[in-house]
Amino acid sequence: MILNSVEVMFGGQAGDGSLTTGDLIAGVFKRMGLEVYTYKDFPSRIRGGHTNYVIRASENHDYGMADAVDALVAFDLEAVEAHIDEMRPGGFVVFDNTSETIPDEVRRSDVTWYEIPLAKIAKEMGLELIRNTISLGVLGALVGMDPEIVRHDVRGVYQRKGEKVVDLNMRAIEAGESYVRENFADRPSGYGLTKGTDGDRLIMMGNDAIAYGALVAGCRFMAGYPITPATDILEWMSKQLPAFGGVVVQAEDELAAITMTLGAAFAGVRAMTATSGPGQALMTEAIGLAGVLEIPVVVVECARAGPSTGMPTKTEQSNLNHLIYSGHGEIPRVILAPGTVAESFELTVTAFNLAEKYQLPVFLLTEQALCQSKATLPPFDVGAVQIDRGKLIDDGEVTFGEYKRFAFTDDGVSPRVIPGIPGGMHLAPGSEHNDGGVITENAANRARMMEKRMGKLVSMRDDLPRAVLHGVADADIGIVGYGANTGPIAEAVDRLARAGILTRFLQLRTLWPFPEDDIRMFFGGAQHVFVVENNYTGQLERLIRAVIGPVDALQSVRKYNGQPFRPIEIIEPIRRIAAVGEPVEVI
Amino acid sequence: MAAMLTPKDFATATPSWWCPGCGDFGVLSALKQAMAELGKQPKDVAFISGIGCSGKISGYLHSYAFHGVHGRALPVATAIKLANRDLTVIAAGGDGDGYAIGAGHFVHAVRRNTDLTYIVMDNQTYGLTKGQSSPTSATGYVASVSPDGNPDTPLNGLALALAAGATFIARGFSAQPKQMVAMIKAAVEHRGFAIVEVMSPCVTYNKINTYAWFKDNVEDLTVRDGYAPNDRLAAFEALTRDGDIPLGIIYKEDRPTFEDRTGLPEMPIARLDIRQPKAEYAAIQAAYR
Repeated sequence: MILNSVEVMFGGQAGDGSLTTGDLIAGVFKRMGLEVYTYKDFPSRIRGGHTNYVIRASENHDYGMADAVDALVAFDLEAVEAHIDEMRPGGFVVFDNTSETIPDEVRRSDVTWYEIPLAKIAKEMGLELIRNTISLGVLGALVGMDPEIVRHDVRGVYQRKGEKVVDLNMRAIEAGESYVRENFADRPSGYGLTKGTDGDRLIMMGNDAIAYGALVAGCRFMAGYPITPATDILEWMSKQLPAFGGVVVQAEDELAAITMTLGAAFAGVRAMTATSGPGQALMTEAIGLAGVLEIPVVVVECARAGPSTGMPTKTEQSNLNHLIYSGHGEIPRVILAPGTVAESFELTVTAFNLAEKYQLPVFLLTEQALCQSKATLPPFDVGAVQIDRGKLIDDGEVTFGEYKRFAFTDDGVSPRVIPGIPGGMHLAPGSEHNDGGVITENAANRARMMEKRMGKLVSMRDDLPRAVLHGVADADIGIVGYGANTGPIAEAVDRLARAGILTRFLQLRTLWPFPEDDIRMFFGGAQHVFVVENNYTGQLERLIRAVIGPVDALQSVRKYNGQPFRPIEIIEPIRRIAAVGEPVEVI
Repeated sequence: MAAMLTPKDFATATPSWWCPGCGDFGVLSALKQAMAELGKQPKDVAFISGIGCSGKISGYLHSYAFHGVHGRALPVATAIKLANRDLTVIAAGGDGDGYAIGAGHFVHAVRRNTDLTYIVMDNQTYGLTKGQSSPTSATGYVASVSPDGNPDTPLNGLALALAAGATFIARGFSAQPKQMVAMIKAAVEHRGFAIVEVMSPCVTYNKINTYAWFKDNVEDLTVRDGYAPNDRLAAFEALTRDGDIPLGIIYKEDRPTFEDRTGLPEMPIARLDIRQPKAEYAAIQAAYR
């Protein structure tokens, strides 16, 4: 009996309604008091093509996917063939055998098979799409969902479509449940979930948390160009910003999106854009302008698998170098990377504050496996959010002639007026300029201006989000990672500890300026350090090597197939090196 | 009420980097004159320019000036206007900036119809890179990168604007300051996106399209019998027919702006108080329970 940990995979063809049902399953698990993480593995097309939705429920929040799939709901043979190898021994498959049968070579004997003519039953009920809800009834009965909560949530989703639709869905749930009762009484799944209390929690996608964080941080202008997996943010903001007096512009391309963001910020509005790798490549042009004009902008990058079009709906961490180094010339910039949905909110607020306090571009780097994933989390305390607009002069006046927009100061940050302020008129030129904004190529001024701008990276040190240390502080074995890998690594640390292998995990949240002090301290006393990242070339590992020099202790754990880490993929290499402790059970 | 200003109040102390005799001087002085006659205050003017000789103009107009990246003046200007509707927003650049590297933005800024003014200073060459063909150079124009003559058809920027749905189209000539001042004033007062193309000769690299050449090849539409700038087909005919280059207000139409269509409040976004949390934030969060 596996209690309170289950990973469900809902697989079929894109556009068949499985995303709605996946969301429903996640909601039911949440209301049963479990912690939930979801992962959408869908193709870059609208109708057709294999898609699946993973819902992982456990008692620990902030975890990612499990090691293996417990319950596969497969609407077609393709879904079985694609994922049968990911099944945990002892798990089960619900298969729609209306028009296809399972070939012998696919039929693993260590999983339980529940073959049900779902489409046929749906057709008899008068609506083929109702297959999703029937399968929910089947899954609920097999995995131990609370039938009342299932009905409550399904009603909630379909209520706006009228009582007839709700009634049909209620009968569909019942049809699924009774099919299991009547046909599989002799074949228990072995799974069960105990019901806890939901409590005051949210279930939210990373992109929702970023957009909400931006709103609460006072962002009132967004320009963007649709791109997977960042479009959710543009859509969210376009729904919400007008009610708060703001505006969203769907730009003609990313060159316009970033320069619009600069324009709005220049005018004194907290402004952002959001994109992914291909769009970031175009935005590179104006990032240097933001740096030299000292304009606060927030750029969200929702990373996906590159290069070029790559795999638009798959996850990867291959854009770190791009964000750090892109652009001609040298400017100060900040890169923050949330590791959870909750941090996606918190670090977005921080990004806006840092951008305005230090007047530079701040990137929020997230990945498909976090930004399009839902997770349960405690509510945000929006009353506690602090807004720091730095040296902004958005009221009163300044004296023309005395006021210098790019004045040299101790911390490198100059008082910033917005258009409309009497006396503050100046030129903001992308060309090198003096403290008053007059274009000059004077050598002494150039050197001083470079030092002023780049010096902000030093003066901001104390304001940057620190790395988070998970696990046992003085363990011999260390792990370094960031972003969406935080969940799988944190779970690996917990499970290794239960097996007698103590580790510590440094979760980086500021990626630039690179947290050299944290890295150096972390390496002290470590026998082995594993750098876990989703790319081929080890972009993070190379940054670490540049700080600490050649080390034998460094090991790479890299994955670049478009899929997020499962914890066992991190546990196994560490267990082999540690060569102590007990075998770690696959979860 | 602030005192009425003169063109001198819109001058900066920055010495000009333009060649003596450059057509852009005429554009600058007409712009200052128009600002003064419209009763504008420098603090309320945002002036955004592109890159190239013409792009330097933002350094010479006393205002909140933004000299950004090549071709992107319009997205910057659009956002500044949306961020603060109280500002008078003017963008300016050359034919290369607007019709080549910025052509994509040009078409979409026209479609968006944000309330701003765009001045294209057309000298039919790339001046600051020392004389290459531009999008408006005549076919056969001999230049450093087209030694056998420009192989391309010149772009008709104003006809393109008309096709894209422009609501104000005008053309001036930098040697005719009075008309330019009137045109810029009308463009600024137009509610929506207004484009003013100015024939602005390059005295250093373009030896074909000189002041003298323009004097012989322009026609003032306002004196043409029966021409009214409210007929799109007549405007298209005027802009595309062979013969003299038409000057004057070529087309004008009232149509809702981007601000109208998005219901943007009159209260400038830049003036909103964002420092205090809003009561409405909680309801948004509650939807995720």
